[in-house]
Formats: sequence, structure tokens, C-alpha cells
Amino acid sequence: MDIFDFYRKDRWPHVFCPGCGNGTVMNCFYRAFSALNLPLDRTAFVGGIGCSSRIPLYISSDALHTTHGRAIAFATGLKLSKPDLKVVVFTGDGDLGAIGGNHFINGCRRNVDMTVICINNNIYGMTGGQASITTPHDFQSTTTPYGNREYPFDLAELAVAAGANYVARWTTRHVHELTKSMKTALQKKGFAFVEVISQCPVNFGRRNKMADPTQMLEWFKESSVRREKVRTAAVDHFDLNMAGQITVGEFVDRNRECYEELIGVEKHG
Amino acid sequence: MKPVIDLRLCKGCNVCVYICPKKCYSRGAGISELGYYAAVVSAAEKCYNHKREGKLICELCVLSCPDQAISWHPETEEDLKK
Repeated sequence: MDIFDFYRKDRWPHVFCPGCGNGTVMNCFYRAFSALNLPLDRTAFVGGIGCSSRIPLYISSDALHTTHGRAIAFATGLKLSKPDLKVVVFTGDGDLGAIGGNHFINGCRRNVDMTVICINNNIYGMTGGQASITTPHDFQSTTTPYGNREYPFDLAELAVAAGANYVARWTTRHVHELTKSMKTALQKKGFAFVEVISQCPVNFGRRNKMADPTQMLEWFKESSVRREKVRTAAVDHFDLNMAGQITVGEFVDRNRECYEELIGVEKHG
Repeated sequence: MKPVIDLRLCKGCNVCVYICPKKCYSRGAGISELGYYAAVVSAAEKCYNHKREGKLICELCVLSCPDQAISWHPETEEDLKK
């Protein structure tokens, strides 16, 4: 598929800040999507509210821009009413984990056939840099000027525990691995969840001595540890601290029965 | 193939300058049409994909560019002499 067919080029340059990781995720998704030769007119993109949820608007396919946090709920309805559509959800950490946490858990539990790509930039970037559920411990934000007292949410481990079929986490520094994971997720039957730790140099990095996007990419590179290496050790691999680590890799790959099979939805071709 | 930066899209984040393993890019000195210090391709002959007859070995810059500004173009005869 040509790059001109995939994107809405008339909307470019897009609204993301200079150095934002959302564009990198768009590139990787385009590679994965075009390598699989999936039909763009049989794919629906769903987004909630947030920076990352604007990505469906730049792809020349049918997109659903939904209310805050309800992207998975809308996508479940879309998938059940049109089972032959491939549903891809682009969402952010605030949209998926904070506001729509319950929809996310139950989407994983029901194992609805969809691909969810969560771009985790560790902050509420669009509204001005408030601390979100994934802001690492001791990191500064607008609402935590003396450092965040709380510990962050581990969305990938939550998806594993809730029963998703495929879970992977990468950062925007691991572009080739991310593309490969997206390919697997798009082919997977059932709930496939890919979390991407992304840089937000404007609202997250600027308050944490990483105002340049390259400094954030260097931080990802230094603190990323493969899941194979931490699986046996009893470490707190969920806290994304400056001294700590980001666990990357494929978390789970299994074939549970998905929701459409369980309730007997028929495909109409 | 050689990388070409589209100045109508580049926002000057310099991710390509950081990520290129062969240091093909460098920080720009002049302000582009959009008002950013856009990166420039300073040493395209050092790229892994130089003189590979269209085969792409390394694509870190194209995949990492947040603004989709980098694309591959075939080399001209002058580039092949380098």
C-alpha cells in the first residue's frame, strides 16, 4: 500500500508537537499494516480523547472519535454489529487506563476481537501536563511540583491478568520490534494489546530535565530491560523510575476463546 | 537510495540526528519555511542504503521520524560517484 493511500496527506503537517512519539507509532503502524496487505476499507479505527487518539483522523479510513475513555466500549459495539470489520483502537494512557480503566479490564476479560494500541506518554499531555496514573514515582508534573508521590500503573501486566490474548510493550526507541509486535497483534484473533512508551518532550520531558526528544529516547534506551531477563527475578519491574527500568517485550501470546465465538455472532461477509 | 527531508513537514526535532548510526544527518543552521531549524542530510554517502540498488537495510530514521518527513529517493549519477 502506498503511503499516499494510507494517510490523509491534506491534513499534514499534523498537530503533534515537534518530537512527539505519536508520529513514530503512526510510521510503525503503517509498516505493519501495509506489510500484511490488509484492506483499508474493511478496517475501522477508533479513538477516544487525547493526543494519541487523534491518530485515526490522519488515516484515510473510517474512524470513530468517541467520548473520553469509552473507545473500547464503542469498539466492542462496532465489532459485534459488524463482525467482519477489523477494529483498531488508538488510545492514550489517560484515556485507556484512568478514565476508561473499567472498559479496558472488561474488554480484556471478554476477549473481544480487536487490536488496541496504547501510547503511554506518562502524563496528561493535551491538557497541560498534569500527573496521570502512569507518571513515574518522583517525577515532576504540573500537579506534582515536588515529585509524584504515587506509583504508576502497569497497563501491560493488567492486560495479562485480565485475560488479553496478546500483550506487548515497547518504547518508541524500539521501532523494528514495535512494528513486528503490531504485525502479530493485527493478525491475532482476540484482544491484542500493544503498549508503547512514548516521549512527550513538551509537557513531560521539559519538567524532568529531558526537554529534548533525543534525551527522552536515550532514557528509554538506557532503562529498557527485556522481559525475558526479569521474569524470574522478583523485581518491581512496574515502576518506571529514573533509576529503575522499563520492562519491554512480549508479555503473553495465547489463544483464548474470543467473545464473538462465545456468544455466537455470525459474519455477514 | 538516499534519504531526503521534506522541509514542508520537518519540525526540527532532531530525532534523525540522534538515531542515525552512521551520522548522516546534522542539525540545521537556517530556519525553514515552517519556522523550524530543520535537520539536513549532510553525509548521504555514509548511509547503509547507499549504493545498494534500492535495497533498504537500515530504516531507523524513516521509522523514527515523528513527522513522516524523511523518504527514500534513488541516487543521481553525482551521488554514485562519491
